[in-house]
Amino acid sequence: MLLVIVSGLALGGLYGMTALVYNVMYSTSKVLSFGTGQFAMVGGIVTAWLVLGLHWPIWIGFLGCLASGAAFGWLSEVIAVRRIVATSDEHLWVLSTLALSTMVQEGMAIWWGTDPTPFPRVFPQEFAGSFDQKFWLPLILAVLMAIGLEQFYRHTMVGKLFIAMSEDSFAARARGVATDRMRSLSYVFAGVLGSLAGFAGGQLTFADFALGTALGLSGFIALAVGGIGSSVGALVGGAILGMLTSLTTHYFGAEYQKTIAIGLLILLLVVRPQGLFGTTRVRQV
Amino acid sequence: MKQRPLPQHRHVRPLIVGIFAVFAAALPYITGNLYYLHVATIIGVYWVLISTLNLLVGFTGQLSVGHVGLLAIGAYAFCLLGGGQGWNPFLALFAGGTICAFIGLLLGLPSLRLPGFYFAMATLAFGLIVSELALAEQWLTNGSVGMPAPSFPAPFDTPWGFYWLVLGIGAFITWMTWNLARLMWGRAMVALRDSTVAASSVAVPIYFTKLMVFVFSGFTAGIAGGLYATSQSYITPDAFIVNLGIYFFVAIIIGGRGVIIGPFIGAAVLAAIPELVGPLAKYGTFFYGFILLMVVLVLPGGFGELITNLSAKLRREPQVSTNIEPDLEALRLAIRGRI
Repeated sequence: MLLVIVSGLALGGLYGMTALVYNVMYSTSKVLSFGTGQFAMVGGIVTAWLVLGLHWPIWIGFLGCLASGAAFGWLSEVIAVRRIVATSDEHLWVLSTLALSTMVQEGMAIWWGTDPTPFPRVFPQEFAGSFDQKFWLPLILAVLMAIGLEQFYRHTMVGKLFIAMSEDSFAARARGVATDRMRSLSYVFAGVLGSLAGFAGGQLTFADFALGTALGLSGFIALAVGGIGSSVGALVGGAILGMLTSLTTHYFGAEYQKTIAIGLLILLLVVRPQGLFGTTRVRQV
Repeated sequence: MKQRPLPQHRHVRPLIVGIFAVFAAALPYITGNLYYLHVATIIGVYWVLISTLNLLVGFTGQLSVGHVGLLAIGAYAFCLLGGGQGWNPFLALFAGGTICAFIGLLLGLPSLRLPGFYFAMATLAFGLIVSELALAEQWLTNGSVGMPAPSFPAPFDTPWGFYWLVLGIGAFITWMTWNLARLMWGRAMVALRDSTVAASSVAVPIYFTKLMVFVFSGFTAGIAGGLYATSQSYITPDAFIVNLGIYFFVAIIIGGRGVIIGPFIGAAVLAAIPELVGPLAKYGTFFYGFILLMVVLVLPGGFGELITNLSAKLRREPQVSTNIEPDLEALRLAIRGRI
């Protein structure tokens, strides 16, 4: 039973981190990227490739993971978001990010293969049951990431600019904020955080090309449950979803995970559309 | 507010449609190759689904990624009723469509209240759930083993006959969508896509319109599922992966959102290219993603709109402009208070 709870919390940490990544990108561009989960997928596979494929030390794997996330984040802003946000107010960004996400996923499947491969151990620790690093690593990193993001938003100039853009992008621009550059920066930042999530959860999920879509969906559910824009909400939403997933798997079997998760999403959005901790209205009219 | 004029086809259309219909109907005699005929049948099956999905995505602006789930339900219902229960295949086909319409209603009731990305995610999740349950509920679906699909009675049991049946259903449904799109329903859909606020201020029933379009597209997705099952003659859960939903999506975008004939162009282009260019088949889904990205970035209206624009240019139709000249004299009078 302890194992069920611990693995639920670990999954929750992973989902919460993905929700935080959604938040970072949403704050500057009002875009919910379909590719959010792919950051973690790319980060995980790059690490596994560097460490287990090329036999480099784990810290180089870690740096490579972050670098790949930064590059991918920047590219997704340049390719899929910049022109769409600049030219049109339709929901074309759903399509462009979906397209980019599909391309990256399939490209990885062709290059890396479609079978999940193991992920290297981060710390030299014997496998320790419920207290293994694969459980506490994502959980601790998720909490650290949420705290760090809150501090970043409150106490740094760039963070304050993110907040300003999320409240009113035009007003921020009028006050001399280089909104385009800030948006690029936020995507690089999101890419780094997303690949960090992939690194933290790698031992739990393995290096798997199909991780991105599932994680993107779960992270989005965590985001919607917690409320867009709230770091605490992302963590709580992730924890709820992770626990629910883990308990469902334990009592009913793994094949009903998604059914329960989407049930939670629909139920919550009907009852409380802005999420548990959200303040903005997501419903138009 | 962006206004996309509804395509006007006055003189050219009957001719084009006639030529196309003759060509499509005579295709079995032209090729004689059974494999090409199979590809053409698959295109027709997708056409049945995509033509009404276009009403949802292109006209109404609701980005449903999960229609592959409805396709799967339609296919399984058709196989269970037509094969296991021994119903007449046409009755089973219709029943499959009805079941999918009902499930579309159940799915649409909560999810159509949600804005864009939320709706896309909810439908994506629906697609994932269906493929998950198709594997899990072995008593119903036979799990990963799959089940055989019944074939249609006498005139439609050959590949040719079945091809004509699919073609006929596709044409009929496209005719229905055309009727819907150019009359009041279509105006309501376009209005609520372009500005929900403006549409509801002129008494367009937003939610009801979306729901009806979704249910209708669910019905034809079920029909397409039954036809798909017969065309493959055996179905497994692997056939209904979520990537197929993305494929439908890409077909609509390529064909042009809100163009009636667009879905056919999109389905044909997407199905034909990997068959004609062999090496691309390996990169199938990657290639679809690439096409989707290119079309969204370079040609947001899709090929359908490109063709419409080009043909308008060829016919030297003057460009329609919607400039409204202010009546300055009346304004002046009004300001001076003389009216």
